[in-house]
Amino acid sequence: MPAPTPPAPVDEKRASFEREALVHLDSLYRVAQRLTGNAADADDLVQETMLKAYRSWDQYTKGTNAKGWLLTILRNSFINEYRRRTRHPESVDIDAIEPFAVFQDVQEEDPQGAFFDRIVDDEVLRAIDGLPETFRETVVLSDVEGLSYQEIARILKVPVGTVKSRLFRARQMLQRKLYDYAVGMGYIKGSKT
Amino acid sequence: MNCRECAEHLYEYLDRELTPELERELRAHLDECPPCGEHHDFEALFLKFVRARCRAQGAPPELRRRILRELFEE
Repeated sequence: MPAPTPPAPVDEKRASFEREALVHLDSLYRVAQRLTGNAADADDLVQETMLKAYRSWDQYTKGTNAKGWLLTILRNSFINEYRRRTRHPESVDIDAIEPFAVFQDVQEEDPQGAFFDRIVDDEVLRAIDGLPETFRETVVLSDVEGLSYQEIARILKVPVGTVKSRLFRARQMLQRKLYDYAVGMGYIKGSKT
Repeated sequence: MNCRECAEHLYEYLDRELTPELERELRAHLDECPPCGEHHDFEALFLKFVRARCRAQGAPPELRRRILRELFEE
């Protein structure tokens, strides 16, 4: 056993990194999975993010928003290194996408949305993965990870108003996909012929 | 606030992103308009549902070990 010594700076760095950064590993992993679309790339992206974060840990102001800081690193790495060889960013004409109101279709048959309960995890993840990238990342940061509009705007480098409108459309598209799936599975009759 | 404005701001309301004033107006509308109240409940349930379905998965233990090794055992 080595003799006890006062904590070295490196131990403090490690301790604060564990306390503030590593606790967000699950979040980083979930976001990485949705961005890359496969487990192997998600692993690599998260590992790289943590390495970069640890190397530049001195630049992070302790006790601020570590999750947002880490997610920014993750997304930048994704754009610079992964997107080229995994998924391609779709060019989406946001205004060309009709906002759907699923609620209007289920209002009579299932206003309480009981059909959602029958849809399993994998199906929801698949539906999210089917969204255009700009919508997918917004929905994941908001609805899965619970970030505020302001935090999302900072990570994606877009105005808050853009986050708002993307989120609105992303949620409507996601609902529509899940609704169509539920109709296809016979969980709900559906109002359309 | 009318029904159209209510639908327009519903997500911001659920996300707690409205100004206190708009939030009050929207809540007042929900209290007096049962269809919008139902719509609110539906959207709230949807958001809860998405969150619950997507948060089951965390980082695999092997990845966690790999990262700890990389970071602290070099």
